[in-house]
Amino acid sequence: MSAPGRRFAIYDALPAAVGIATVIAFFAALEGLIQGGVVNRFIVPPPSEIIGSFGRVFVEEHIVSRFFFTLGECLMAGVMITVFGVAGGFLLYRYKLLQQATETWVAALAAAPVVLAYPLFMVIFGRSAWTIIMIGFVAALPPVILKTLEGLSGTRKVLVNVGKSFNLTGSQQFWKIMFPAALPTMFVGVRLGLIFALINIVGVEFLINYGGLGQLINDLAERYDLAGTYAAICFVILVSVVFFMSLEKAERWLRPVD
Amino acid sequence: MSPPSTTPNDILVAKDVIVRFETAEGPIVAVDNVSFDVRPGEFLSVIGPSGCGKSSLFNVIGGLLTNHQGTVQVAGETIDGPHKSIGMVFQEESTFPWRNVVDNVAFPLELIGMPKAKRVERAKYFIKLVGLDGFENRYPGELSGGMRQRVSLARTLASEPKILLMDEPFAALDEQTRLLLGDKVLQIQQQLQQTTLLITHNITEAVQMSDRILVMTYRPGKVKRIVDINLPRPRTSEIVGSEAFGRYVAEIWADLREEASRGMKDEEQHALNEAPAS
Amino acid sequence: MAETGRLTRTAPSAPLLSPVTLLRVAIILGVLAGWELLSRSGWLYRDVVPSWLAIGKALADLLSSGEYYFNLGVTAAEIGAALAIGGISGMAVGILLGANRFLAKAFEPYLYYLGPTPKIIFFPIMIMWFGVGPGSKIALGTLSCFFPVALSAAAGMRQIDKVLIKVGKSFRANTWQTVWKIYLPAMRHPIINGVRLGLGVALIGTLLAETKLSNKGVGFLIIQAYSVFDMPRMYAMLIVLFVLAIGANALVGRLGGLHTIRR
Repeated sequence: MSAPGRRFAIYDALPAAVGIATVIAFFAALEGLIQGGVVNRFIVPPPSEIIGSFGRVFVEEHIVSRFFFTLGECLMAGVMITVFGVAGGFLLYRYKLLQQATETWVAALAAAPVVLAYPLFMVIFGRSAWTIIMIGFVAALPPVILKTLEGLSGTRKVLVNVGKSFNLTGSQQFWKIMFPAALPTMFVGVRLGLIFALINIVGVEFLINYGGLGQLINDLAERYDLAGTYAAICFVILVSVVFFMSLEKAERWLRPVD
Repeated sequence: MSPPSTTPNDILVAKDVIVRFETAEGPIVAVDNVSFDVRPGEFLSVIGPSGCGKSSLFNVIGGLLTNHQGTVQVAGETIDGPHKSIGMVFQEESTFPWRNVVDNVAFPLELIGMPKAKRVERAKYFIKLVGLDGFENRYPGELSGGMRQRVSLARTLASEPKILLMDEPFAALDEQTRLLLGDKVLQIQQQLQQTTLLITHNITEAVQMSDRILVMTYRPGKVKRIVDINLPRPRTSEIVGSEAFGRYVAEIWADLREEASRGMKDEEQHALNEAPAS
Repeated sequence: MAETGRLTRTAPSAPLLSPVTLLRVAIILGVLAGWELLSRSGWLYRDVVPSWLAIGKALADLLSSGEYYFNLGVTAAEIGAALAIGGISGMAVGILLGANRFLAKAFEPYLYYLGPTPKIIFFPIMIMWFGVGPGSKIALGTLSCFFPVALSAAAGMRQIDKVLIKVGKSFRANTWQTVWKIYLPAMRHPIINGVRLGLGVALIGTLLAETKLSNKGVGFLIIQAYSVFDMPRMYAMLIVLFVLAIGANALVGRLGGLHTIRR
């Protein structure tokens, strides 16, 4: 590695180290305050106790199977939003009148607090996985539609002209040019949708006390298992962060080098 | 080349200014032992090829760059930050897009706490001076590039600086607008007897407006020559056609050309070094 | 058919009758008709899809009841408080991170990755810390809206045209003046956008918390309607809620646009 390269690595490593050190220091201070009695340990359990209960929660509460349950719901919602979202986006692209009429409605739906209607979904689908999946689906659908539309509409004119110059048929034009060109943007839409879906799915699991990870937190809270509740929340946040990071990596891998 | 002489009347004195930068390829010297003086009421241009360090010099005098060796003194006080006697006009678009013309121009007065009625009146005077009366309530977004630069100029003049420091303020404008705005600046300068320091790469502009021109070498930037421009005042852009004018331009171009080609060769060498291995 | 012909001829000069509007009206009518059909068909469990008449009546009852406005006020106050606390602290943190590159590299990744996580799961902790009253709802709303506001503010700081800051420096503006007269106006678009996002998530966070554990507020009323299976009332409340939420979103967006003085 040349001298400049080495220099820049240090410039990035130092702030990251400071960040991590601050977080560790914060938790160490918290531990101290709680053990010292300044902070009530029946409201905030000491971090050591929380870490300690991880193992217990993992085994006793079947975290692995819960994790896969939640994952299954997300996957189902993911498949649904991809199928219907891409199809919807394509329809809006293909039929301009439809786009002009409904695009703002789709955008409004994206901003609408769909999850607030969860009692309604419960009435329709019962207290079941389908309520959870459907809420995830409805909340996550708009970004996929909008990004698909954006990707297809935004294909650079010159690429379309290249296709025309080769006398491609409509179908060939779509599959060989428009679709691959729109793919990165469509993936951004699916990524956004998946994140919305996960957040809503875990949230609803918590609210209706059914499902995998979200339900676990609700359960532990109702049992007044303080350390367990904190541990479960930490775990779910961790899963959420890892999910988000992997989606980002996947998108970067899919996107051609600009 | 005689060393610049400083007289007790000098309003700005730069002495042995050295500016160094750390870059990916190692340290470079942008400004190398530059010394000069500016006399009250005079129009001094600093001209040089790209890469001669004139922007660094601009930032040093303006107090935005304090990491340098040597001193710059204004009316006896050493500069170690933006000085109240120096007003800066930047090369880039610098009007505040969310304020109208009058509020833009009144900005420095607002900062020192001048009451509203008084600062609006003061601002209107300078707006008229740059020829934008009638546009007080317009927003920069509604004006052309040249008009926006005039607003920036009026704003700086409103702070009534002893020295007006400008960094290629007309670089983004087309030639005709530039010449006409140059006329305007000259007219204002002569009316206010404003000491002005102009950084530029445009020879015509420098000769048109200046009493003296300081020619800089390519990096590391040193003072190559100081040329006295003895063209009659008051001047307008019409002078561009005169014979004396042409001679001055030729003289300065002869100096600059050498420096500019050195600059170009340097850049070519750079590009070659960075070429990816095929 | 003759009617269509007439419309087509006058279309260009009568935007009200444009094909787009016609399609929209057609879709809306179609949905309304389909709904009513579904309601009367007895296909689904009776009150899951109540007739429009029932929903209309429930809506009228709702909007004329003092009890509803009281609860609406409670929720609005909670959301307002959450937005104020989360918004101001988010803005302060965002400005700090945007201004200082080192701090941004050290701490912004945490905000960025912790942002898109379900915040409602923190509710049990909020109840422990702030009790079962409005405090825990406000706390959850604050937690929700802190992140988007902070991230928008940080990004907003970085997109400020550097020359404007130099102008402030050249006129020797002090820190306070620089923040108020240059940073904040220059960031007005990202700030408005951040507030819009913040409002959206604060609304969701606060309302979900109300549905989970509360005895006041719109969320509480919704869950109450659910528990007694008063479907028309629930639909009515959801309709009002969605209209208000989308309306508030559009209003804030419009407010940002009114100050548009773009280069």
